[in-house]
Amino acid sequence: MKLLALLLHAFLELKAKITLIVLAGISTLVLLVVLLALSSGQSEAGTTLFIFGQPASPPVAPDALAKLVSQIQGELAGGLFFGISLFGVFATASLIPDAQEKGTIDIYLSKPMARWQLLLGKQLGAVGVVFANIVYFVGASWLIIGLKVGVWNPHYLAAGLSMTLAFACLYSIVVFLAVISRSTAISIIGAFIYYFIAPVFLEGRESTLYLISENAVYRAIVDGLYYALPQITALTSNIGNQIAQSPVEWVPFLQAPLSAAAIFGVAALLFNRTDY
Amino acid sequence: MTAILCQSLSKTYRSGLIRRREVHALSDFSLEVQEGEIFGLLGPNGAGKTTFIKILLSIARQTAGSAFILDEKVPEAKIRSRIGYLPENHRYPGYLSGEQVLRFFGQLSGVSSGDLSLRIPSLLELVGLAQWRTVKVKRYSKGMMQRLGLAQALVNDPELLFLDEPTDGVDPVGRKEIRDILTGLRDRGKTIFLNSHLLSEVELISDRVAILDRGRLLRVGTVDDLTSEGSHYRFTLEGGLSEALLQEARARAYHLQQDGEKVTAKCADSHELNQLIDMLRRHGVLIRSIAPERSSLEESFIRLIKNEEAG
Repeated sequence: MKLLALLLHAFLELKAKITLIVLAGISTLVLLVVLLALSSGQSEAGTTLFIFGQPASPPVAPDALAKLVSQIQGELAGGLFFGISLFGVFATASLIPDAQEKGTIDIYLSKPMARWQLLLGKQLGAVGVVFANIVYFVGASWLIIGLKVGVWNPHYLAAGLSMTLAFACLYSIVVFLAVISRSTAISIIGAFIYYFIAPVFLEGRESTLYLISENAVYRAIVDGLYYALPQITALTSNIGNQIAQSPVEWVPFLQAPLSAAAIFGVAALLFNRTDY
Repeated sequence: MTAILCQSLSKTYRSGLIRRREVHALSDFSLEVQEGEIFGLLGPNGAGKTTFIKILLSIARQTAGSAFILDEKVPEAKIRSRIGYLPENHRYPGYLSGEQVLRFFGQLSGVSSGDLSLRIPSLLELVGLAQWRTVKVKRYSKGMMQRLGLAQALVNDPELLFLDEPTDGVDPVGRKEIRDILTGLRDRGKTIFLNSHLLSEVELISDRVAILDRGRLLRVGTVDDLTSEGSHYRFTLEGGLSEALLQEARARAYHLQQDGEKVTAKCADSHELNQLIDMLRRHGVLIRSIAPERSSLEESFIRLIKNEEAG
């Protein structure tokens, strides 16, 4: 009941800040482009896919068409997750710093609920808003593609859940930074640095951070950081494989949520110890 | 049942990583508040009043000592379902209506949806916001926000109510209405803990008050107790006092001041007052009237704080 109230309140808060509407507006715009651009034509040689009236491929058999569609869906999912990461973090990062403002936090903390519940309610609210947008975009684009091309790929729908999971993992970084800094700006910048820059140094550590020193302890620390922090890039790169029904590496699907849960736990612990 | 009990409560705020600074917000603070009373906590800015409430509500943690609310040890989350709190400078989301604010915080207080549907209209009626229930709170005046804050504090029908500057920004008519609401709640057995710098407000409704300064408890008692310290009597005499009689009275340690026919006397108690009357009558002084003059709570408060500052 309390978590549900916090979740619904997050929707109202983001709706009031217009960000939810802007997010849905961008999705609608992309969906309209897909709707207008995509069409298909049948011939004896197979099905031809058209983009803005231009054939995207020679006529192909059903199997090859399904592969082609999954490639398009992979591109759409990639674009969507990039947009969600960028705009979703930007739109929802204020939820926790705003709740920590004097005069607001006093009321929240005087209520009969644990502090971690407040934090979790806010995180669920942010993830819920992003999930709603993913459901809207993925669901609508899946319908458009299905109706226009006749290919109904269920893995594309499942990828929506994976994207939500990846965003939830990324958001644990936002929660942690929001608790320690009480600043929306720092939370956003920190999350962007983590999402866009950290992979270069952590995933690509062998060609970057390893070059600094050959010391075993140093490299163990670098490795430790890589395995301790959520491997979001590894997770998202598997989403494309999931849609294309290619082999999926499941380790990031386990590692990222576990790591995100640990980061959330540390944030909750710090939040619990803070005097307001 | 004791509504609030705290023993040797201390709170030290520490800041700075290299040059550690310490601020003692509360020092060895002990207090007991009985159920069903309106208790006022007074003190200058920075005395530790809000810190005390925050410790009781687990918004801040004490450095030492213990506290109990309604016989439950602090911090205990479930006890907060029996407490209402109106913080100072509270903020509500401007995009919600008054009704939505009450519903949201009522849900967080664990009140069922059915109870909220019944309670919210009556609460808005009680605080005079019934006509504004669907209006977004960003359009509310400061006084209306205070009324909404009071309704929010009452949304879970609490046994104990903490109010931090509840009449801040409220016009005189509104203040009277809030006072009436609070006395009505007390009559229904609720305990009200009031933090305020508006001493006249506190004086009007509090059963007992405590005075806090720089984190230390200076006095606790009824308003009568506090205002009787330093109280005096004003005599109106026929023809005033002769210089000789004035000297004699002062020699007997009566604190007298004469201004024409008016004489002001400080007496420790009614026994001393009667001795003074006997002495005046023995000397044939004709007394027209005797009127007790008490200090206001504000005067008592200022005197206590100044004495404390003087050491």
